[in-house]
Amino acid sequence: MKDPASTGEIVATVLARDLVDGDMVNIGANLAVARAGALLAHLTHGPNMTVVMGMSKAALLNEPELPEFELLTDHRASRWAEAYYRHDEHLANIKFRRDSVFFAGAMQVDPFGNSNLIGIGSDYGRLKVRGPGAIGTCNGTALYGRFYIVLNAHSTNTLVEKCDFISAVGFGRGEQTREALKLPGPGPKLCVTPLCVMDFEPSSKRMRLVSVHPGYTVQDVIARTGFELIIPDHVPQTALPGDRELAVLRQRIDVRGNLRKVMLRPAR
Amino acid sequence: MTTKPDRRASRLCTVADAVDQIAPGMVVGIGGFINSSHPMLIVREIIRRGLRDLTIVGAASAGLETDMLIASGCVKRVISTYVGGEALAPIGPAFRAAAESGKLDVFELDEALFYAGLRAAAQRLPFNPWKGGVGTSIPEVNPALKTFEDPISGETLIAVPAFNIDVAFFHAAHSDIYGNVQYVGHGWGDRAIWAASDRSYVQVEKIITNDDVRREPLKTLIPGATGVIRAPFGAHPFASPGFYVEDRKIIGDYVQAATRWAKDGDFSALAAFLDRFVREPADHYEYLERVGLRQLLGLHEY
Repeated sequence: MKDPASTGEIVATVLARDLVDGDMVNIGANLAVARAGALLAHLTHGPNMTVVMGMSKAALLNEPELPEFELLTDHRASRWAEAYYRHDEHLANIKFRRDSVFFAGAMQVDPFGNSNLIGIGSDYGRLKVRGPGAIGTCNGTALYGRFYIVLNAHSTNTLVEKCDFISAVGFGRGEQTREALKLPGPGPKLCVTPLCVMDFEPSSKRMRLVSVHPGYTVQDVIARTGFELIIPDHVPQTALPGDRELAVLRQRIDVRGNLRKVMLRPAR
Repeated sequence: MTTKPDRRASRLCTVADAVDQIAPGMVVGIGGFINSSHPMLIVREIIRRGLRDLTIVGAASAGLETDMLIASGCVKRVISTYVGGEALAPIGPAFRAAAESGKLDVFELDEALFYAGLRAAAQRLPFNPWKGGVGTSIPEVNPALKTFEDPISGETLIAVPAFNIDVAFFHAAHSDIYGNVQYVGHGWGDRAIWAASDRSYVQVEKIITNDDVRREPLKTLIPGATGVIRAPFGAHPFASPGFYVEDRKIIGDYVQAATRWAKDGDFSALAAFLDRFVREPADHYEYLERVGLRQLLGLHEY
């Protein structure tokens, strides 16, 4: 009997089903679930997707197996490159990425999808925890197409009423909306965590619960969220991967089983 | 009367020649990207000489080479969006400790803003504008970045000041003796750092002939480095595309030693690491001997 889907596999499938053929996806470093979701979409229903892997435009459809390179700088991944983007050009030439899909991690996220990778603390000069920094997220969330917030932890420390700093704008706050700031990208579409899937209610732009992963309840999500989440009357369980999706994930995308090591389920 | 040179001059030089170009307080560029392609002969020589007060323009995402420079007390200010080793060290331990204690001046920015500053320098402009970052805390916590109203459209943009680099250092695959530097792969953001610098010194795995360079001129990403240093395994312990992968054992030893210092204030393991791999080896070959032939050749296995 096959193992049931792990949380990482469930969330990768959620992301994959939200991607459509023709999407351009950016796969960066350290987001195993986003990588798996983008590749799953490409291999199941998106043969015309453009997959930007690190600094390569990657041709992957005919590869029986896509080993996951742990480091973005692993040159062995360039075996799939049909074009290179020099890193400076990659950041400067963004018109061709204007509708591309971006995935952002974060240390903190607020109800409007604004997020923080700078650090934790009230005084910037003396941070309690120095974060990794914005890296490419500030730009990708502002100037590319829709983006997905991918969190490996779901707690009142990560989903907060107000971020200590904002390194990537979601829908902005108060007067400082995306429209007022004239940010061309449309903003975040979903926020996925080890507990649930959330989207943004169209008029208030506040985060709203969409589905809860198997084994958890709406109450569990509310208890672990540091702000008031919009809860619809009916919240379904997150849909599980189908047999074909699980097979593609396990046999072609995640052969080392890394999706079982991320997005660990918090203790009840 | 000027004398007429009788031949084209070779640009081959030594590590010492290159590091002689650095004075305390200078703006120094270090190429590569996270766990790959850093000019480690240069980095070790900077540490050995105890140079101080440097502003390091690391790669857009710098690696633990910058962390080693911070741990060794060489750095006043870092201009880079990231200092770390991805899965090998999510954040550089010395970078984190120095930033949290306020001892290190971190130039907060993201990758596109980073390249805007390099582009301004390359274009001999005082700044380059950029949109991404408007609405974030970045221009609030970094007073060197100024928001301004675009005179054409009226919208708010960020002015990134020019990062004028005094001298920049790189590690690449090949060069001829005239400084025509060719890479295996895309060369990260090295060319943008080169374009923003007054002088550039490049370590290479192998010196090739000018004939070889002219077979594929498009591969020449740095057309005329100031100086070229022959440095096989010169990016070790980091990777060099087409030659070797990163050395996780030695990177791990560094991360462990630096973490102990950053967390508990115990410098002994880090001092021992720096003595063994930086201060004691008389030259690059002695460094490689300390790493060991079996360890080095094991990194060739793709």
